[in-house]
Parts: sequence; structure tokens; C-alpha cells
Amino acid sequence: MATASPRPANGLQPAFIGGENFTDAEVMLRVRAGDESAFDFLVQKYRRPLVNFMYRMARNTAVAEDLAQEVFLRVYRSRQTYEASAKFTTWLYRIATNLAVNHARDTRHERPEVTVSLDEPDEETGTTLDVADGTVTVEESLVRRERMLAIRSRVEALPERQKLAVIMHKYQEMDYKQIADVLKLSESATKSLLFRAYETLREQLREFV
Amino acid sequence: MVMKCEEIREVMPDLASGLMAMTPEIGGHLADCGACAGKMEEFRRTMALLDEWKAPEPSPYFDVRLQARLREEMAKPQAGWATWFRRPVLAAALTVLMGIGVGLFFTKGGGIYSPGNNVVADSEVQAEPGTAVSDLQALEKNHDLYSDFDLLDDLEVQRDVVANP
Ligand SMILES: [Zn+2]
Repeated sequence: MATASPRPANGLQPAFIGGENFTDAEVMLRVRAGDESAFDFLVQKYRRPLVNFMYRMARNTAVAEDLAQEVFLRVYRSRQTYEASAKFTTWLYRIATNLAVNHARDTRHERPEVTVSLDEPDEETGTTLDVADGTVTVEESLVRRERMLAIRSRVEALPERQKLAVIMHKYQEMDYKQIADVLKLSESATKSLLFRAYETLREQLREFV
Repeated sequence: MVMKCEEIREVMPDLASGLMAMTPEIGGHLADCGACAGKMEEFRRTMALLDEWKAPEPSPYFDVRLQARLREEMAKPQAGWATWFRRPVLAAALTVLMGIGVGLFFTKGGGIYSPGNNVVADSEVQAEPGTAVSDLQALEKNHDLYSDFDLLDDLEVQRDVVANP
């Protein structure tokens, strides 16, 4: 029976070769068997989507990265109890959703209203100001930024479940079935949840379209 | 079978965001139904607008920090007593047990100890079944311990529609 191979002294792991030929659930079973390179494969595959997801839930890059790391830590901690019955991404996003919702509740009294000065660094919003390279004027850049902040605040103002559904659907490009599984809803309930959410967004962003 | 407006509208979020390809059937309906075509166009515009909200890439520190946290995690003895004793929930559980003991000692059976309002705020702890911890946690009847796992169930009672004015 294979056991965990010791990590090389330099801290680097041997590459997990051919990971893309396995399903995530299969890779996770390798993690469970002690293959750390298999875990690294999952981290590389999901770090960007998870940081993005957490960023849109927590709207702060430092917090988003911290929460995304926490997701991976929990995945790692749960490797012995992982069962391949649930789809890996569903499991992953359930952990992520729990953490994000929990964080939002813990910090809801600390969160300031969206107060943004227009010369704020792009760090918080994720926009790039293209003024420096001369491709847009300052005015264009400000208008663009204002739109972006409006979009963000309208999405954030959605009821929690609608917000989660929109972020998973629009930005994580997950299908109805996956979102339904993460949110423990039926597929048709998820469809109508998303429809309502987009209707609200369309209504509230009317001035920008 | 002719598709109904309702069926078309249901798939509009997927259609407008490119998660679903246009079918001849849907295309045919949109060509004949002005209301659905208009709605579809609104959806497309809303989706395009939402595209403007970009998220930043993970910073270079992300991987460094994650590796450090993982190494820390791997260095921990698995479910060893020493680790678990440092956990706040376990500390709280032990406090409760000691509290009961002390309470019983001082009241000599006359007092009633109620652990119901003992709030445990740590959200980090997940019980691993079949460990000494789960046994201890079974002793600890505090509901708050488990509430973290039920956040999603909790969400289900949220009234999504009403909350949108
Ligand atoms: Zn129609």
C-alpha cells in the first residue's frame, strides 16, 4: 500500500504528471492516499477561480486570498474523509461558500458602505486604470470606474443566495446543475433564482446599458 | 413541440452568457416573438455590463503563503491530543465540564447548570468522526458548535424575492 512519500528537502514536490487525464475526484483520492503532488495539482487548477470567487464575495484582495487559502487547507484537512460520491467542484465550492458567507456575517458590522474616492488604487476594485499608458483619457477612465463600482455594488446588494448564484454563474461559469448542487436547491429553483437576480440587476443597472 | 416563452426565458441567463449555444428552436422562437427577443437583448446587455467587473489575479504571495500554511498543517500531529487541546472549542468544552464539576461541588446537587448559552465562536473546528474529539464534542451539547455546517441550510429560509424592493 502506498504511503506518503517524504517531501524533498528543498520543499518542492515532484510534479503530478498527467493530472489532467484524471477527474478531480480521482486526483483527490490520490491526495487521500498521501500524494502531495496531486494536491498541488488541485491548488494550481483552482487557485485562480477560488481567489476570484472570494474576491467577489469579500471585495478585498487580501481577505480573498486568505479565504481561498483557507479553502485549500480545509480540503487538505478533509482528505481522509473525502468520498468521491460528490463532484469535487461541488464539494470545493460548498466549502468556499460556507467560508465566504461566514466571513460576511462575521464582518457585516465592520463593512463600510461603498465609499470610493476616484483616485483610489486599483487594488480594491481589480480595475486597471489605463490612463498611464495613454489609451484612454482621465474622463473615460473615471466613467468606466464609476460603472464598475455601480455594477459591483448592485451585485453585492442582492440577497445572499442570489448573489452567490450570480457570482457562480456569471463569473465562475458554472452551470445550473453545479450551482444547484452547491446551494442545495433544485435545478428549476436555481434557474428562477438566477432569472430573478439578473432581472434585478438589469433593472438597477438600466442607466448604464 | 413549440417552445413556450417561459421555457425560453428560463435559459436566457445561460444563452446570454454563452454557457449555452443557441438552438434552431430557440432561434425560431426569438425570430417570431418580439417580447422574448427584447428580453434576450436586455439580458445580453446586462451580461456585457457585468463583464466589466474584473477580479485581480492571485498575488505572487498567494502561493508562498499557502505553502507556508500547508507546511504548518502537515507538521501538526494528526488529531493528537496536544493539537486538540489547543483548540478553543475543546477548551470551551472542557471548561463546561469543569464548570459542571465545580457547580455540582458547590451546590451539592441543588443547582441547575445550563450550558445552553455558552457561545462558542470558533468557526475553524470541524469534528473528525471516530476521534477522541468527536467523543468530547458529543458530550458538548452546544448547538453553536455545529451551526457553522448549516449555513447553507440556513440560507434556504432566506426570502430572496421579498428582499428585492
Ligand atoms: Zn416568447
